[in-house]
Amino acid sequence: MNERVDIPIIARGRVINPGADDAVEFRGRGGAGFRSPDPHKHIHDLVLGNTALLADLNDTRMQHIIEFLAEVGRRLQLDDNVHLQQSFALALRAGGLAEPILRGVYDGMLHMFDPRALTALVDKTIGIAYLDGWVPGERPYANVRVRAIGTRQLHITAGNVPVVAALTVIRAALTKSDCLIKSPSNDPLTANAIARTMIEVDASHPVTRHLAVAYWKGGDEFMDSQIVRTSRIDKITAWGGMSSVKHIQKFLSPGIDLTALNPKYSMSIIGRETLASEAAMDEAAVGIAVISGFYNQTACANTRIVYVESGTDDESLERVVELGRKIVAAFQTLPPVISTPAAQRNPELEAEMAAVALEDDFYSVGGDTLTGGFVVSRFADRVEFYDKLSNRVVNLVPVPDLLEVVKWCDDTTQTVGIYPESIRDRLLNAFALAGVQRMVPLTGGDPMKIFHDMHTLPPGMPHDGIEPMRRSVRWVIDHRPGEGAVKLSVVAA
Amino acid sequence: MAISLLPDNPGAWTFHRFQDLYAIGREEREKLQLEAVRINFARMRNRIPALKKLADRQGVERIDRIEDVLPVCFDHRVLKNYPIQIIENRDFPKLTSWLNKLTAHDLSRVDLSGLTTIEEWLRRLEAFGMLVTYSSGTTGKLSFVPRSIDEFGAWRAHFFNVNHAANGVNPYTTKLPTFFPGYRGGYQTMLKMMSLFNVEMAGGPEHYHTLYNSHIPADLMALSGRMQSAEDKGEIERLGFDPALLEQRRTMLEQGRRKDQDLQAWFSKLIQQFKGQRVKIGGTFADLYRVARAGLDQGMRCEFAPGSILTGGGGMKGYKDAPADWEDQVKTFFGVARLGNQYGFSENIGNAPLCDAGFFHFMPYTVPILMDADGKALPSAGVQKGRLALVDPIPTSYWGGFVSGDEVTMHWEEDCPCGWKGPRAAKTIRRFAESEGGDDKITCAGSQQAYNEFMEFVAGDA
Repeated sequence: MNERVDIPIIARGRVINPGADDAVEFRGRGGAGFRSPDPHKHIHDLVLGNTALLADLNDTRMQHIIEFLAEVGRRLQLDDNVHLQQSFALALRAGGLAEPILRGVYDGMLHMFDPRALTALVDKTIGIAYLDGWVPGERPYANVRVRAIGTRQLHITAGNVPVVAALTVIRAALTKSDCLIKSPSNDPLTANAIARTMIEVDASHPVTRHLAVAYWKGGDEFMDSQIVRTSRIDKITAWGGMSSVKHIQKFLSPGIDLTALNPKYSMSIIGRETLASEAAMDEAAVGIAVISGFYNQTACANTRIVYVESGTDDESLERVVELGRKIVAAFQTLPPVISTPAAQRNPELEAEMAAVALEDDFYSVGGDTLTGGFVVSRFADRVEFYDKLSNRVVNLVPVPDLLEVVKWCDDTTQTVGIYPESIRDRLLNAFALAGVQRMVPLTGGDPMKIFHDMHTLPPGMPHDGIEPMRRSVRWVIDHRPGEGAVKLSVVAA
Repeated sequence: MAISLLPDNPGAWTFHRFQDLYAIGREEREKLQLEAVRINFARMRNRIPALKKLADRQGVERIDRIEDVLPVCFDHRVLKNYPIQIIENRDFPKLTSWLNKLTAHDLSRVDLSGLTTIEEWLRRLEAFGMLVTYSSGTTGKLSFVPRSIDEFGAWRAHFFNVNHAANGVNPYTTKLPTFFPGYRGGYQTMLKMMSLFNVEMAGGPEHYHTLYNSHIPADLMALSGRMQSAEDKGEIERLGFDPALLEQRRTMLEQGRRKDQDLQAWFSKLIQQFKGQRVKIGGTFADLYRVARAGLDQGMRCEFAPGSILTGGGGMKGYKDAPADWEDQVKTFFGVARLGNQYGFSENIGNAPLCDAGFFHFMPYTVPILMDADGKALPSAGVQKGRLALVDPIPTSYWGGFVSGDEVTMHWEEDCPCGWKGPRAAKTIRRFAESEGGDDKITCAGSQQAYNEFMEFVAGDA
């Protein structure tokens, strides 16, 4: 794919296209070429230097913001949205997600803009009253009022799953904030498509007027020095952790609040009783296949390592290998909207698998990077290439006691799949203390139900252990004179 | 062909003059190489357990065409496909039985009693007749090259030959005092080769000058990653590392911090001491450039005798934003006419010297094959770019077929202006990695290994 795709800068209701004397080119996934206006020439289109200009959005009632977002959401349908079609086609060719899965993700975007869900989200996390006005305290503190004020936000987004773009636009609008999105090179168009749809709905709406989307190369010091200033940005949300933060780090200063959504690993833990019966192994295998295989193992919530409570004698290990085979078999039965065979091999991972396959004292290997596969460690440790596990390849690690798994858990451990449920209570608190952020069930044996349950949370749940929306507003106190006289002694206290 | 070479004894080829080896015509050379690889593979196939397993799996019984060897070339990972746990636990029986699958020697006969460190283990193996060296990559895990005394003669003859070719100085007859801005001794491949060969080339240990008189123990290299993360967690004292090892680590870190000053002080002294003498300077180009830059800034120039030589390696790894003319600056400061250079891997005996025209020429006893991204052989004609596999038919105690992680541009025709024949690689060599991902792809999944302060400081020196 050698053709070049033009990616405009979206600046507060305006679409700025690249032109003959205003263009920079960059490279995307799979060698795709992109052309964008030179961001160096558009700093002032991207940032909001004057905070007074946020008044329009802060004065807009939440109900109107939600109605507007809902209207935008209704237009985010692949069938009749040319911008979305373009970004869908690009994402598809980039090859990270197969067509049925990507279609599912795009179809899901619509639901993210559902007005009831949006209302619940903002009310649960911040409280609409706090965004629409000043909320007085309870007596005797009725003279002290609090309001959640919008901020100027820079979002350095992740591109492996396009929902990040939609989530970012929604969170910024619901916090009545000015939002600058720095697109990733592996998804340069989704945020763009949403912003352009907004412009078509209402280019002058305050939400539209406070959304800017651009691409510039990570490490572009000029851009970082111009944008990451306390006079221009209040909050930064950086996905991808160090890889996205390292460049801007030197420009960070007190006054800029950084929320780093670090890269995460996820795992599953399988209790000893599972290996005792074929039925339990089958059920666990389906659960593991779903949590490892959805989005074709490109997301942070995907299991890459499966810790199995088991001995390391040959007989026990044969059961673990059997579980591996069952997982690979279960991958083949997943509905395509959840997971598909990979479009192409992963030569790097295959080389790792082939190298350890020669060492059958230590490892048992099955499957491949097209249909999915497994590496069983024949001792209680994960493979050293665990951070390269993808294409639906999991590492099964026997451990004598699942409590020992906490030594591999820390802030980077996001989601832990559990089977069977009977082990949960024994492990929950220990895993939570170790840094784990979410424990999910793998039971039932029905892929669609497991997938659905895994992704169905009440609105406003924590994200990676924090509450990003609460963190991205400024909590302001309006302290007025109190009523009545107060004794001197009380003042002194 | 002016010399007579037997295909069943390629080790003996190394004893010929490099000029004669580079004069062999293509047709003759390729015929000889195919025959040598065919014989070597037939010998080793069922003798080396890991090769047997791979060949069985790939269904390769014999080599009829040179590309038949590709499926049975070891990926470089094979030399480190043991679980890191066995190093951490110093489980020497397991480590030995792992290595035993890579060699024709019977290592089950090695006495492992009383071993507590990897250094001791390597020494014990050496006493047994092995010449096992290690390299450490970015993950800190050691890969072990299962060489033995069986290859020593050819290895030495080749190394002398290739140095002669790269520098134009015959190391058998001309002994030059040598400066090497790094460590000394130990089993890291380059340092072991220094002890085995370079010291002799210099005319003895008193003529071989190193920045440090000690080496980094293999144990420290192997465990540095684990130590760093233990230190980050504040657990380093609790994990039961050998106190002597922890002390060595502190020393190394301290040396690393002082390195720039030490390097300059050390070189300034040598520059004075050897003024007017012919010398040989070695090291990584990054270090040599550092010294040169600092010297030039002070208005200094070396005044060694004409005919002094400088030979470097490692590219400019470890030096950010080197100016385009760094090579000229190095030449100007040290007063040498050219920069000697070689390209190769520790897995292979036959590294290739850089010619005057700027190409790395492979010796006939090293057989390069280029592959595409799917591992299929690229034609050995014209100019091709691909991933490099090198087959070394010399070893008689281990299998010498390896696939590298390097992307190389090979010129197959015999038209190099330097006059040497044989396939040659262009100077620009990079890691064969997918260009997938774009300029700065960001994802929420996965993360790189924790930043390893220790490796940053000292790995480049070893």
